[in-house]
Amino acid sequence: MSLFIDVPEDKEQLPSLKTGRGKLAWIASVDHKQLGIMYLWLALFFFVVGGLEAMLIRAQLAVPNNDLISPELYNQIFTMHGTTMIFLVLMPALIGLATYLIPLMIGANEMAFPRLNAFSFWMTCMGGFLLYFSFFAGGAPDAGWFNYAPLSENNYSSSPGVDYFLVGLILTGIGSIGAGLNFVTTILTLRSPDIKLNMLPLFVWMVFINAFLLLAAFPLLNAGLFMMLIDRQFDAHFFIPSTGGSAILWQHFFWAFGHPEVYILALPAFGIISEVVPVFSRKPIYGYKFVAASSVAIALLSYSVWAHHMFAVGMSNTVNSFFAISSMLIAIPTGLKVINWIGTMHKGRITLSIPMLFAIAFLIDFTFGGLSGVSFAIVPIDWQLTDTYYLVAHFHYVFLGGSLFGIFAGIYYWFPKMSGRILSAKLGKWHFWLFVLGFNLTFFLQHILGILGMPRRIYTYPDLPYWKVLNIFSSIGAVLMFAGMAVFFWNIYKTLKKPRTAPANPWDAWTLEWATPSPPELKNFDEIPRVHSRRPLWDLNNPDNPDKRLN
Amino acid sequence: MVNHYFIKATDVKLMDNLFYYFLIVAGIIFALVTFYTLFYIFRYGVKKSIETPSQKEGSERVEYVLAVIATLITVVFVYLTIITMDKVQDIPENEEPFLEITGHQWWWEAKYPESNVITANQIYIPTGKKILVKLTSADVIHSWWVPDLGRKLDMIPGMKNYMYMYAESPGEYLGTCSEFCGVQHARMRIRVTAVDPADFEVWQQQQLRPALTSSQALILKGKKLFEEKTCTNCHAINGTAYKENIGPNLTHFASRKRFLADMKVNNEENLRAWLTNPQAVKPGVKMPNFIFSEDEVDALVAYIKNLK
Repeated sequence: MSLFIDVPEDKEQLPSLKTGRGKLAWIASVDHKQLGIMYLWLALFFFVVGGLEAMLIRAQLAVPNNDLISPELYNQIFTMHGTTMIFLVLMPALIGLATYLIPLMIGANEMAFPRLNAFSFWMTCMGGFLLYFSFFAGGAPDAGWFNYAPLSENNYSSSPGVDYFLVGLILTGIGSIGAGLNFVTTILTLRSPDIKLNMLPLFVWMVFINAFLLLAAFPLLNAGLFMMLIDRQFDAHFFIPSTGGSAILWQHFFWAFGHPEVYILALPAFGIISEVVPVFSRKPIYGYKFVAASSVAIALLSYSVWAHHMFAVGMSNTVNSFFAISSMLIAIPTGLKVINWIGTMHKGRITLSIPMLFAIAFLIDFTFGGLSGVSFAIVPIDWQLTDTYYLVAHFHYVFLGGSLFGIFAGIYYWFPKMSGRILSAKLGKWHFWLFVLGFNLTFFLQHILGILGMPRRIYTYPDLPYWKVLNIFSSIGAVLMFAGMAVFFWNIYKTLKKPRTAPANPWDAWTLEWATPSPPELKNFDEIPRVHSRRPLWDLNNPDNPDKRLN
Repeated sequence: MVNHYFIKATDVKLMDNLFYYFLIVAGIIFALVTFYTLFYIFRYGVKKSIETPSQKEGSERVEYVLAVIATLITVVFVYLTIITMDKVQDIPENEEPFLEITGHQWWWEAKYPESNVITANQIYIPTGKKILVKLTSADVIHSWWVPDLGRKLDMIPGMKNYMYMYAESPGEYLGTCSEFCGVQHARMRIRVTAVDPADFEVWQQQQLRPALTSSQALILKGKKLFEEKTCTNCHAINGTAYKENIGPNLTHFASRKRFLADMKVNNEENLRAWLTNPQAVKPGVKMPNFIFSEDEVDALVAYIKNLK
């Protein structure tokens, strides 16, 4: 007698748009390409929402002593703006690109765990909508995306908003952990047998490193979120000082997640730039080893820098010194990457396509944001400038000038692969110039506002010298960005209505995803081209001058 | 340039200098990155470059040299950071603060332990003296920041933090709460008045006097209302039985130039608007709307304006 019975393997093909099950695929598909595109639509949807929130913020701050928005509503809006942009825009956009591209770039037909992949997406999606449901359930969260205790505890924030924040982020966090697990397993087990780890495309390499960050950072956040939920729902005292808890403990939990999170949002963008710059310079990356190894250094260091968010808390000089040194050190591998991207352009043949334009804007604006970041590692500067608009300016240079420009470059670059259509370059240029100029206008001026003493998270401000004029121009920049985004959406809409005419490899690129038709069939590869170097399609197209063999 | 690390310089000056050094180095790095990026775009554009560029990877030596340069710059800034930090945050073992400031949602309570003066929002300090300040909070986290007088330091419930403030010359110094603390975080601003030590002494003596009394009918009516309408449940007035410290101490309210954490000028018009409906003036504030009649507001204003 057998102790178990065989469960027959499901013979039916899994649902997807292309199996003729039509709309069912939008909720039931486990195809990584379908899910990747759904992540991107989700990010785009929330980008509109978060962008409108940003426009409200800039409208309110355009002039001093403005009473357009009540302080209660303003605090909800800036909380939701930050939370949305981090967890529901940048994360899904980068995870979506990775979900779509990783199997294609390593010669695999699926992710390692297709059902987990769908689960991750739906957790992220449901978490996002649950978070927004708070608006209809008595008020959105109003304690900031950092949700500092005890302000976020029942005594000071009694609406259910913070509870929705906690549960919503726990769900998206579970989704992110699932995605991280899936990336690690896929990259380790499903690579084409030809591809050794040192031959991975840099985007795959960065996502690989990033997946470990996801796996280590999000459990920390979720632990903290659960503790606060217990505080709020069952009257525990983890973070309430008046009954023996510690307000600072929450900050340690939050930033021990929060700073790796910054690199979670940066590394995949670094990966995109490392794909785009070589292709449009017609040269291999300047130093593959250095770009790959510096990512490992960044990932390891990113766990020892979190308390630089807390220099004003009043820690001892010894503790401050430790976190100052590690925070300055992390700038070195990051700087090395910038040098490698610029080095790649040296003696190349540079085409200023839209992805390349965004990559160049990335190089300049991300460098700016990275440098202003170093000023916060210099503790005495932090003691003056933290929690001012200088900080707001800094992290927008990192998240927009870095992550978002990387995502834009990636979307323009891979759009033909995903949809079979090339986005209009003419509209793309309008998008680029409006957005990049608007971005720099808005946020460059905010550095000056911070130095002049304007604190962040304020719904209004007194009419002090220069504050008014700087804020008005900052808001004008936001309008330019808004116009740029309108052009971007128009471009997507127009392009999607055209027939699928994009060739398999429109940019003459070198990685495996370009060996499939645009868009790829449900089964990615019937047969995988042999891979002997980091640029299989280069070798295929230049048999007389192939790259050095690596296997 | 004078090297302020080896001569006597104020903390603020040291921090400013460090920022200038940072700006110079960061500016050079940023200029180089921008220059090379843009220069390569022009120099190696499609029209000016060869059909198939060399497919060689870059030089490892360049990478190592640049990494070493970056490390050296880092070492210099680590050194500058640590010596400046040690100087600015050099708190003695047995702290005896000159001034204790407690953050409340959304106002500042100030106590001078030596003289036992207690006041709110209008904070005076003597010039020419490095004073040790103790910071804490009565509710959520606030952060004390007057950029011209010293560093920024959080005020955390259940914790005591210490920092120095120093004013070289008399004047009014503006600052602001720098940690998000709820609905009216924006209106939690700071104004510190620095005066000569002699003037400071005069101010302190004036603050130590008990509240003025008057026999004028309207003021007496106001005083009675102040007691009956439960104002005393939150506000203390020295020299009376009312010692609750939930809202600002009002003993010498009329001597303050501004009120509501620097939001409004302390005049009759603003005071009337405030007493008529606090929530309309500063929405979300902890003081409820008592729905006073016109006559009651008249009497209360007369009483409070007499608290010099």
